[in-house]
Amino acid sequence: MAGNVVRPGSLADKLQRFKRIVDQSGGWKGLFLRVARIDEVKEGRLVGVDKFGNKYYENPMYFLGRNRWVEFSDRYGYDYDGSQIPAEWYGWMHYKTDRIPSEDPTRPKYKWIKDHEENHTGTERAYVPYSTTRSKIEAWKPPKA
Amino acid sequence: MLRAPLQKALSLPNLRQLSPALRGISSTPVQLEKIEVFVDDKPVLVEPGTTVLQAAAMVGVEIPRFCYHERLAVAGNCRMCLVEVEKSPKPVAACAMPVMKGWRIKTNSDMTKKAREGVMEFLLVNHPLDCPICDQGGECDLQDQSMAFGSDRSRFTDIQFDGKRAVEDKDVGPLIKTVMTRCIHCTRCIRFASEVAGVDDLGTTGRGSDMQIGTYVEKFFLSELSGNVIDLCPVGALTSKPYAFTARPWETRKTESVDVMDALGSNIVVSTRTGEVLRILPRLNEDVNEEWISDKSRFSCDGLKRQRLVAPMLKNENGELVTVEWEDALVGVGRALLRAGEKSAAVAGGLADAEALVALKDLLNRLGSEALCTEHTFPQDGSGTDLRSSYLLNNKIAGIEDADLILLIGTNPRYEAPLLNARIRKTWIHKECDVALLGPKVDLSYDYEHLGDDTTTLKKLASGQHPFNKKLSAAKKPMIILGGQQFGRQDAAAILAAVQQLSQSLSSSINDKEWKILNVLQQVASQVAALDIGYKAGVSAIREDPPQVLVLLGADEGTITRADLPKDCFVVYIGKLSVTLNLLPGHHGDQGASMADAILPGATYTEKQGTYVNTEGRTQQTLAAVTPPGMARVDWKIIRALSEVLGESLPYDNLNGIRQRLTEIAPHLTRYGSAEDANYFVQAVELSKTVKAQLASTPLDVKLKELQDFFMTDAISRASPTMAKCVQAVLKQKTSKY
Repeated sequence: MAGNVVRPGSLADKLQRFKRIVDQSGGWKGLFLRVARIDEVKEGRLVGVDKFGNKYYENPMYFLGRNRWVEFSDRYGYDYDGSQIPAEWYGWMHYKTDRIPSEDPTRPKYKWIKDHEENHTGTERAYVPYSTTRSKIEAWKPPKA
Repeated sequence: MLRAPLQKALSLPNLRQLSPALRGISSTPVQLEKIEVFVDDKPVLVEPGTTVLQAAAMVGVEIPRFCYHERLAVAGNCRMCLVEVEKSPKPVAACAMPVMKGWRIKTNSDMTKKAREGVMEFLLVNHPLDCPICDQGGECDLQDQSMAFGSDRSRFTDIQFDGKRAVEDKDVGPLIKTVMTRCIHCTRCIRFASEVAGVDDLGTTGRGSDMQIGTYVEKFFLSELSGNVIDLCPVGALTSKPYAFTARPWETRKTESVDVMDALGSNIVVSTRTGEVLRILPRLNEDVNEEWISDKSRFSCDGLKRQRLVAPMLKNENGELVTVEWEDALVGVGRALLRAGEKSAAVAGGLADAEALVALKDLLNRLGSEALCTEHTFPQDGSGTDLRSSYLLNNKIAGIEDADLILLIGTNPRYEAPLLNARIRKTWIHKECDVALLGPKVDLSYDYEHLGDDTTTLKKLASGQHPFNKKLSAAKKPMIILGGQQFGRQDAAAILAAVQQLSQSLSSSINDKEWKILNVLQQVASQVAALDIGYKAGVSAIREDPPQVLVLLGADEGTITRADLPKDCFVVYIGKLSVTLNLLPGHHGDQGASMADAILPGATYTEKQGTYVNTEGRTQQTLAAVTPPGMARVDWKIIRALSEVLGESLPYDNLNGIRQRLTEIAPHLTRYGSAEDANYFVQAVELSKTVKAQLASTPLDVKLKELQDFFMTDAISRASPTMAKCVQAVLKQKTSKY
């Protein structure tokens, strides 16, 4: 029997995976920060990085739905949310396609396409439609002197 | 004289005995033996002449009705009130049938139910099924009664698909929207117009299914009380035009309040939704407005939303008013007031509440100033405003119904106080009451003896040399109503003295010692409270001694202009809105907010809990229905905050506190709902003999002569688009050939 083959699911396999995770996180300190920030540690293959610095990972070992994930760029700090994933990565993240944006020649590229913008709801830049109702009170305007 | 044609048409033997039964007026001179009837086997003793419907109401059984209304003549044409009477072969119409001895009335029997269901079915056959788009939905008598008394199924099938009966809508003016297909021909609106409003414009044409309610010719239904037909209409045939498609009754909040458009203080209900006043409805108060209100009270509420002051303002170095923070405004005003000290003065407008009046007076008194005036004048000679009886409607509004002779001097109650006029008309119709008018000849909606408009007539009356004196002294309960507008004349003191002397000379000949004769009809809602609190009537004091700071508490009638004040005078305006200047012929230049150096935005009567004393001396309060808009605040609180800035803090900081202060000054100011009697007529007359002023030769005149003058009289109604439309409609009607 080949003694160096680790049986999947065994304690040795788990310890090896944990070591890979620690390595990938950048040591014990990195692991601690990652847990603090995203409450989850996973190992995976870095598939790509978008222009905002978000990193996309894949690991088919996890079951479908959990096997693709994003690690948000440090610029967002703890204020990350799903709307920060740009449109071009949206399809890959949601299993609409298996091809990452850089490897997909069918994607249209126009120069007028605007940069992706996250959802500003709850901030000062939130979108508020202009009112179409009449105002309830008409204020008096003082005459110009 | 055929004053009550409908009553006469009933041709019952004794009208005097019947009238209480028909009208609910309690003045039957002869006490008749009561008769016993049984309503649903419950015995009840009633006066002869009582109708079945009233007898049932006495034991708490309400019979459904559409055409019957307590304050209108009986028509008996809707047939909804059919009830079974034992041993009677057919059901009887409860509203028109006087009870007979021993009758057993069955309001819940099979025959009654069948009759009601039949009537309801007939009504609904000719009524459109448009409740979802009908403005009456939710407050519709037909809806309610078809639920309560109608059948649970209909036999109406439109097999020919030719539709229900349809009637063309009428255009009766800017206030009332008509959907005549919905009309069930109850004729309440017709009876109201001819009996209460005194405008015989509405009637029926055609008969059977061709019957229509309308004006016959193309004509507006214009009256100062026209809005009441909206409340009277049991269905959605007559609805409010300004309120059309605005809200459902179950969505609105109702706040019981008091109207301030005239000096009567009609009781109202303010309907609001999402912080906006949507409409105003009358509230029952037998002593004041019964269940009517005037069109100005009802429809001028859209003026509360226009021309509003929503933020404090100060004049900058360019002489322009700019919006500032409250703190800056209060500090700016406070600085000016401190500099002026006792050289400060105040003028209170016609809509000010007693709380604000008291707070302002306390503040200025602390600064050492006594120059607090009202916009409307009252003679200071003789007893002046010291004796309350000289400026009140002493007989009370309900007292009019007991009068047998009413002499109106220099007033047109029809437009100065429409509901007072409605009372006089009611008395004139139902009682033996005669009316005479000394003043310009106007249409009062009833006949009166015109004594001319000459002041010499008044002099003759006072000295007892006029032929009319004979009538006056023959009267058992004469009443003299003096229009408050005459106090604006130069010879106001002489007029008041003459009227007081005339009243006094009559008082010796009347038997009822409680009966007062002298009555004053005030022009504005705040006047009585202001005089009670101790304001000087009229701004002459300010003209004589121009102040350095003038506080205008909602005073925008233009009694004081910039020309009356020194150049460096600092004017503070505390108020709700400003007038649109172009709407005001005769008033131009600066007044109210436009002449102010500082503006402190106040609250209107729908936005504050305020005390008002009406012309009969009845204290009533408004309740806050909505919050003041923007940065505006309740008037007395502004003054209280100002006092803090001045370092002269007033000793009250909540409503209870200031009400306590009100009680301290005059206890009647917080006895809400009751009218405090005034007295000392004799003393007032004695003092009036010291009056030196002579009657001028200018004839007595009134400002509000015709309907178009009625609609826009104060800051709120002048800002109201609906009122502007009314004025236009009246002027348009004048050019019509009908």
